[in-house]
Amino acid sequence: MATNPKQVVTLTVNGEAHEVLIEGRRTLADVLRENVGLTGTKLGCEHGVCGACTVLLDGSAVRSCLIFAVQAEGAEIATVEGLAEDGKLDHVQQAFTDNHGLQCGFCTAGMLMSVHALLAENPDPTEDEIRVGLNGNLCRCTGYQNIVKSTAAAAAAGKAARSSAQAS
Amino acid sequence: MSETIIESHLAIRKDKWIGKPTKRVEDPRYLTGTARYVADLELPRMLHAVYVRSPHPHARILSVDTSVLPGLGKSVWVFTGQDLRDVPPLIDHVALDNLLRTPQNVIAIDKVRFVGDAVAVVVAGDRYAAEDAAEQLSAAVEYEVLPPVPSVEAANAPGAALLFDDLGTNEIYRQTEKHGDTEKAFAAADRVFTTRFHHNRYGAAPMETRGVLANYERSEQQLTVWSSTQMPHFLRSVIAGQLGLPEHRVRVIAPEVGGGFGQKMCTSPEEIAIPFIALQLGRPVKWIEDRHEHLLAATQAKEEFINLEVAVSNEGKLLGVRGEFIGDGGGYSFNTESALIEPALAAKSFPGPYRIEAFDEEVAASLTNKSPVAAYRGVGWTAANTVREIMIDEIARELGIDPVEIRRRNMLRSDELPYRSVTGQLYDSGSYLESLELAMKTVDYDAFRTMQERLREQGRYLGLGISSYVEQTAWGSDSSAQAGTPLPSHDNSTVTVDPSGTVTVAVSTSCHGQGHETSYAQIAADGLGVDMADVKVVFGDTLTSPYGLGTYASRSAVIGGATVARASADVREQILKVAANMLEANPDDLVIEDGTISVAGTPSVSKTLAEVAYAAYWDSEVRSDEPMLTSTRFYDPPATYANGCVVVLAEVDADTGVVTLDRIVAIEDCGTVINPMIVEAQVQGAIVQGIGGALFEQFVYGDDGQPLTTTYMDYLIPTSTDVPPIEVLSLESPSPFSIGGIKGMGEGGQIAAPAAVANAVADALAPFGARVRKLPLAPDYVLRLMGKIGSPNG
Repeated sequence: MATNPKQVVTLTVNGEAHEVLIEGRRTLADVLRENVGLTGTKLGCEHGVCGACTVLLDGSAVRSCLIFAVQAEGAEIATVEGLAEDGKLDHVQQAFTDNHGLQCGFCTAGMLMSVHALLAENPDPTEDEIRVGLNGNLCRCTGYQNIVKSTAAAAAAGKAARSSAQAS
Repeated sequence: MSETIIESHLAIRKDKWIGKPTKRVEDPRYLTGTARYVADLELPRMLHAVYVRSPHPHARILSVDTSVLPGLGKSVWVFTGQDLRDVPPLIDHVALDNLLRTPQNVIAIDKVRFVGDAVAVVVAGDRYAAEDAAEQLSAAVEYEVLPPVPSVEAANAPGAALLFDDLGTNEIYRQTEKHGDTEKAFAAADRVFTTRFHHNRYGAAPMETRGVLANYERSEQQLTVWSSTQMPHFLRSVIAGQLGLPEHRVRVIAPEVGGGFGQKMCTSPEEIAIPFIALQLGRPVKWIEDRHEHLLAATQAKEEFINLEVAVSNEGKLLGVRGEFIGDGGGYSFNTESALIEPALAAKSFPGPYRIEAFDEEVAASLTNKSPVAAYRGVGWTAANTVREIMIDEIARELGIDPVEIRRRNMLRSDELPYRSVTGQLYDSGSYLESLELAMKTVDYDAFRTMQERLREQGRYLGLGISSYVEQTAWGSDSSAQAGTPLPSHDNSTVTVDPSGTVTVAVSTSCHGQGHETSYAQIAADGLGVDMADVKVVFGDTLTSPYGLGTYASRSAVIGGATVARASADVREQILKVAANMLEANPDDLVIEDGTISVAGTPSVSKTLAEVAYAAYWDSEVRSDEPMLTSTRFYDPPATYANGCVVVLAEVDADTGVVTLDRIVAIEDCGTVINPMIVEAQVQGAIVQGIGGALFEQFVYGDDGQPLTTTYMDYLIPTSTDVPPIEVLSLESPSPFSIGGIKGMGEGGQIAAPAAVANAVADALAPFGARVRKLPLAPDYVLRLMGKIGSPNG
């Protein structure tokens, strides 16, 4: 087979720089999973509908199956692997386990990243706003009930953390 | 203190953990992205496989010109059906003499029978390179196109092309069975209602598609297969048989599985082809299905034509039913349960929670040029429940009886159970009427009717739909026979306490999202008297788990639960025997609580489980004749039947035909509940899959046999904005037959929801005389039902 030209790309993932030698056509999702070795980001449809591959690019939720890795050079990329600190779940992860917001776990990484993006934009969403905010992430197990509940709990936990930070 | 439930030989210990909404112990690895699914696995020198699939629904393969690929045999490899001609074809296991068989080569040899049928596998060092090569090879396959058979009607038309020439027909099964005296029932009827119903073809669509990684260690003669499967041991047996390998040289691992819903129970042809290729190449080979491929080539489900005649009295009593159940099997009568998986199971389950004493069933299945039909949550039972519940509402409306009242008049009372249905299903216990009444009370039925009438005057169309169900569970030898497709089986669990006093539970059921690690740990913790944190549950690897059939058909809570409870009870006895030696007491006088063994009533005379376990392994003075603290127990359960009721409140937009769901109430009765949090979430998830089938999902094929729904922009699964809040309430009628009184659950929501949605729409559109005759209730069909466009049959 003809070999396609490769280029060196530096990606900043969860604060750490990774230099990878890749073909220009490789998607960010594939590079994160196969070249960087972070397989927590999942591929559910590879055509931008299911949201399983959602990561944050400079804080915005993006489908990592729909952009090329070369386009992410210079951006801060956040994936599910960066959420917990020293093995301690962050408030969104904690809310998901407290409220049974996951079953098979395949949509979970994308869901958590979308929840982070949603709460960054709207820290105190109504139930309807949560549903609208997450309707780009498909889940086949939960029927979304406990995902909505988990997101509301995460919002409440974030609010509590902010007010205690202000008080101190 | 231990609460003894039901008869003593069926009792399990239920002290501290069973019945509590316990948080899942497996969650952290999913939440942190460290859980590994097949696609996440990588082995040294691993190759990537990509399929070349047929673009034609029906064609002969004339040639595959592999010479178009540069680097063939060096950096790219190709395997066609010819290369796998010595691998026996897959065939179903259903023990019925008059069912015609349709052997399926794992890669097609001479003929393709649906768009997506496998023609060749291309293997390369990288997925991108393999995709490039597959694209090149696709253009180098020569076909002789044959006339397509896109539907059951076309399959049985005179002169129809045959999918299997040697069978001489596309209809592979048709049998009639009579239960009770329908002649008498119809003669006594005041009215006879009829329907011709088309249940839609939709499918599991798990978030994780299918995937297989195979590696053959030539020096060890050891094949290891990682597959996204629900049945690792069964798959091991099938792979060994198909590839002619000794079974002890085959190991199957189901790593994390991202949803299955029944689709991953049958053996996929890919699960044989990829291991074969790995054997040939002596290198690891990985195939990960993409979504487009999944929507083309993975099995589909639920399509059936059901024709009913229902004999009723003027009081709405169901006197007798004649039903024809016709399955559209697709290109092959798929392995494991055949094309009868839909129509036969629908027919046997048709009576549901009602007293129907005369029933004639005619079951048929035909081959068509579509992706094969196989298991998906609520197999057959969904279609049967849908058409029955829709019919009951129509009969009520015609006779001027309230839909709740007509159900009351026909429903089995809990004190009539156990009850053998007219088709031979032995309902063990339940709360059919209680579930209905609780659901109606919860939604405040009378208030809804008042509001409905008021809003109708304003031109708003609200509806309420009821769907009552019985769900066959505990799929073992007994259940499968009562379902109409006998498949003998049993399952095992091994419980072991190690020298430090911690517990490993190895089970043959195989979890893919249901929280088994938590539920079984709850059972073992109660069984042994230890903390849940001291229990580790392992599964999904044939090397470390005992043999069994895995997880499908709502069997794991009953079978896995019972085997864990039984093995735990044995190990408890072993512990008490050693402790009795250490404490110089009678084992009968000892209790275990929170990991401490003490003399009942004298807590000061005690040993920790760690001390006893250490002694059991190391101290020859006190150890038993068989020192290991371990037991393996089997279970092949009697059939158990869960039940419940789903009520949907919906509104139809009269201008657009869009259906909005406002509220759902579900009552679930699955006997003894192990973890209410998990049960509630299973009900919610199943209901939303049923909503998908009712409103959005359908695999559509054109008259030319081409699939038209091959992306998630065409095949629509419900999103968070499509579903309303779902309230789940629980009733508990323990099974008098099963260990612990446990019943299976998890399919009822899918079984019941489509009819609940359809009945809500029909109720909303009652002023238009709407009669639902097919699903999904897409806006154009709803407008047709209202007479606003075309005809309802268009």
